[in-house]
Amino acid sequence: MTTAPSVLRRRRPDLGRRRIVVRRGRLGFRIDLRSTVVCTALALGVVALALVALTTGSYQLSVAQVVSALTGGETGLVREIVVEWRLPRVAATVAFGAALGVSGAMFQSLTRNPLASPDVIGFSSGSYTGALIVIVLIGGDYAQVAGGALLGGIATALLVYALARRRGAQGFQLIIVGIGLSAMLDSLNTWMLLKAKLEVAMAAAAWGAGSLNGVSWDQVAIGGACIAGLLAIAGVLSRPMRQLELGDDTAVSQGVPIAAVRLGLIVVGVALTATVTAASGPIAFIALSAPQIARRLARTAGITLAPAAFVGALLLGAADLIAQRIAPTPLPVGLITVILGGGYLGWLLFAEARRRL
Amino acid sequence: MTMPTLRRRGTALTAAVLSASFALAACGGDGDDPGTASGETRTVTADNGAVEIPADPQRVVTLGNTTLPLIDMGGAPVGVTEVSDSELALIPETQQAAYAAAVNLGTSADQVDMEQLASLEPDLILAQFPASEFEQVQEELEAVAPTVFWGLDVEWKALADGVAEAGDVTEGLSEQKTAFEDKIAQIETTYGAIIADTAFVNLDRWASSDPGTFSIADFGCVEIAQGDLGMDFPRAAEGEDPLGWTSLPFEQLAELSQYDVITYPVDAEGDPTESFAPVVETNTWQALPAVESGRALGLFCPGNNSYGPVLQYLDSLDSALATLPATT
Amino acid sequence: MTTLAPHRRGPAAVKAAGPRRRLTGLIAALAALLALLVLSVMIGSTTIPPSTVWDALFHSSADLDQFAIRDYRLPRTVVGLVVGVAFGISGALIQALTRNPLADPGVLGVNAGASFAVTVAVGLLGIRDMQGYMWFAFAGALAVTFMVLALGSTRRGRSPAVMVLAGVCVGAVLGGAREALQLTDPDAFDAMRSWNAGSISGRPLDVVWPILPFVAAALVLAFAVSGPLNSMALGDDMAVAQGARLARTRILAIVAVTLLAGGATAIAGPIGFVGLMVPHVARWITGPHQRWILAYSILLAPSLLLASDILGRIVVAPGELPVGIVTAFVGAPVLIAMARRSKASAL
Repeated sequence: MTTAPSVLRRRRPDLGRRRIVVRRGRLGFRIDLRSTVVCTALALGVVALALVALTTGSYQLSVAQVVSALTGGETGLVREIVVEWRLPRVAATVAFGAALGVSGAMFQSLTRNPLASPDVIGFSSGSYTGALIVIVLIGGDYAQVAGGALLGGIATALLVYALARRRGAQGFQLIIVGIGLSAMLDSLNTWMLLKAKLEVAMAAAAWGAGSLNGVSWDQVAIGGACIAGLLAIAGVLSRPMRQLELGDDTAVSQGVPIAAVRLGLIVVGVALTATVTAASGPIAFIALSAPQIARRLARTAGITLAPAAFVGALLLGAADLIAQRIAPTPLPVGLITVILGGGYLGWLLFAEARRRL
Repeated sequence: MTMPTLRRRGTALTAAVLSASFALAACGGDGDDPGTASGETRTVTADNGAVEIPADPQRVVTLGNTTLPLIDMGGAPVGVTEVSDSELALIPETQQAAYAAAVNLGTSADQVDMEQLASLEPDLILAQFPASEFEQVQEELEAVAPTVFWGLDVEWKALADGVAEAGDVTEGLSEQKTAFEDKIAQIETTYGAIIADTAFVNLDRWASSDPGTFSIADFGCVEIAQGDLGMDFPRAAEGEDPLGWTSLPFEQLAELSQYDVITYPVDAEGDPTESFAPVVETNTWQALPAVESGRALGLFCPGNNSYGPVLQYLDSLDSALATLPATT
Repeated sequence: MTTLAPHRRGPAAVKAAGPRRRLTGLIAALAALLALLVLSVMIGSTTIPPSTVWDALFHSSADLDQFAIRDYRLPRTVVGLVVGVAFGISGALIQALTRNPLADPGVLGVNAGASFAVTVAVGLLGIRDMQGYMWFAFAGALAVTFMVLALGSTRRGRSPAVMVLAGVCVGAVLGGAREALQLTDPDAFDAMRSWNAGSISGRPLDVVWPILPFVAAALVLAFAVSGPLNSMALGDDMAVAQGARLARTRILAIVAVTLLAGGATAIAGPIGFVGLMVPHVARWITGPHQRWILAYSILLAPSLLLASDILGRIVVAPGELPVGIVTAFVGAPVLIAMARRSKASAL
């Protein structure tokens, strides 16, 4: 029995089992060192990106003005732009990116499938449905859209969990039920978009792509607090999560309360994504790609949370910078995360394949 | 001075003074006097309440659906959100030039580059787009300049009035209004009898329509024929979705036999619009009694949210009604 | 036990039916499909008596009702049949190939490639009619599949798991680029709204003929590789021991998947759920026998599509719902119910 994310190694299945066991023993020392180095490098990258984001923009400000605004030396529009526009946005990319990375890592570990993310249990489709109902049918305000998204996402996740629960919510059943419900909701979403007026449909599509435009301190403060609390719980769950990856029997024999851990992983994973979605719309693909990229960078055998968090933050930060500063016209950041995350993961796969030639 | 006051902040006065001095420092070479030196203001009311705006705004930014109405009434915005090519193609060249002269701030109102907007130093922002999006950007917009906002459900005449008043282009508006009223009166006198006892139906197809479907459209220019001229077009029951939201399969074309006259969209040259052409090509359409007897009228509708395009529509309606064969 | 390769010790999901019951089931499925084909011509948003339907087919005249039968209902029934078969088979093949329950033709980036190409055609090149952009869809699907194939290859052959990830990556990148294009071009966005929903209405039969040879070739290919795919289900090493040629089988299967899914998507737009769901259901009925799964998929997939399309004509009459929207509502409850009943992973 191997850990799931080593699927890529299963190409030599008959040899795999023995070798991996041996490797696991040897890797014991190296994982931590490499992980630490990788995490530090990623953290430095996040800080560097944040500085770039604060000091650049289409409104020309000198570095001195930015520093002065941050230290309270400016008022008026300059202060507004630096402190109320750029800073919360930078904070949001870090917090939200980390949340998405960890959330995806939890789901991939739980379902032992590299394609899994909270989307698998219908969260994204459900929250988009909730938001669309508010945008298209009710025409509600921003808080209502966030509320609708949250409600839709959580209701869908609960429904999927309840429907798949009969056999203890195994990975496979979660996935199948999630696919089914997501497909239905996606249909509903397409239909609502088709019905809506062009400008409403485009606004809804932009929300659906995930955008950090207009993120305010209120949202960052509330979202950040939720995320911090959830990440703390995630830290506690991380050890039993790794044990669960070894298989149910092994985990039980090591005294892991598997049902409780599974539920915990689902709840925390969904809550992390829900927090981000409520603030910014569903930002795609970070949850899926960050754990995979992190695993390849840190060369760990299984899914680990901390590198995934840093990769998530880095991806979202870079994507937002590209969406705002480089794209010819400002785009929803979610479109760039997809291109960036997908492209980078593709490149890693390519490199990995080359290495083995 | 170019910077607006920050009404929503307690520190409005300080902020205004300081930001004005910054603006001067930041773009020292820009000697243009924006013409609001008097600092006079007036108050207009829109969906976001009473807004205090410059008496004589010089640098107007239009977001969402306010762009074309302002330009139509002779205004010249400094910054705009994108208008689709298909809509632009329908407006006069001088207006296209006015649009092209403005800075493109983003595809849609919720994706506006705020910093670029701020660097344009507008003294007035006019906006019409979904209210949920406005919530999100309201504070940022108002930090830059006084913002006058309308939601999507405002009636087009009210929007034209509001844009004209806030954007200070009332002269252009009153000319257009007179022309509009004259045209309505002329059509009513000329075709009074036809309007009174003809059952019309208005069809449409859009780029977003599913292949093989069309709609009985009850929104767009037909609202003017219906509302201002009293022509008898089918309309949705009170409280129901507009009829046009339902896409009908082509086989439903056969059911149109019950109407006397069919109206459908054509381009400036009088050919069916690209989206509608598939309907005209069907065997069913060609076999319809109204089509066979020359009672299918192509109408040109370049837009329905300001008087200029509406006048073009009325001209097109006028000449189309003239071609109707006499009833037997 | 990973979901990616569960069958090595995975118990058969449902008690697999014996050969005789499989055959009976197949005949029942065939009867259902035939009935749906007839219903699809009979039922529509206007009421047309059966005698007129008969006349329209065999004694044609220029009657409004007859036009409805000949010009709209008949072509859409044929399109539904072809598209359904293509989606069903391509789904069955891709799931057998990747052994992943999340796999549908979309996983290889087929949908994303087709959508991206159509967006480019509509948005940048200004092509607005179906006959024009369907070739873009087809070409896009082909190009992306070969990209995924290249990305997921190593000298030792092609690993399904890497290929799936590669497909998801390429699909995501293209999907993002497509949405970016659409959101910056309101005209393209508007024109793409209906294509994205997936529909079989309003397609003239001319659209089907050029795709048909590809679909037919792919069908032959699908049955040709079904034997080796059976062996591969037991694990690569087992398959090699049984004389299967892994690399060749995989490439042939992928070519078939791309031709089928690319052709169907070109005609109908991305109708994702049929290719995903039908093979699951077929496998639950027949057990892990590729030929049977293929045979069932050929019948069940167009049945699902036609039933959904008929339903879409009735539920909001006189309006219609695009079939891509209805399939999920018809199919998903079945899929969920079966997932709840089955004992374990069934791939």
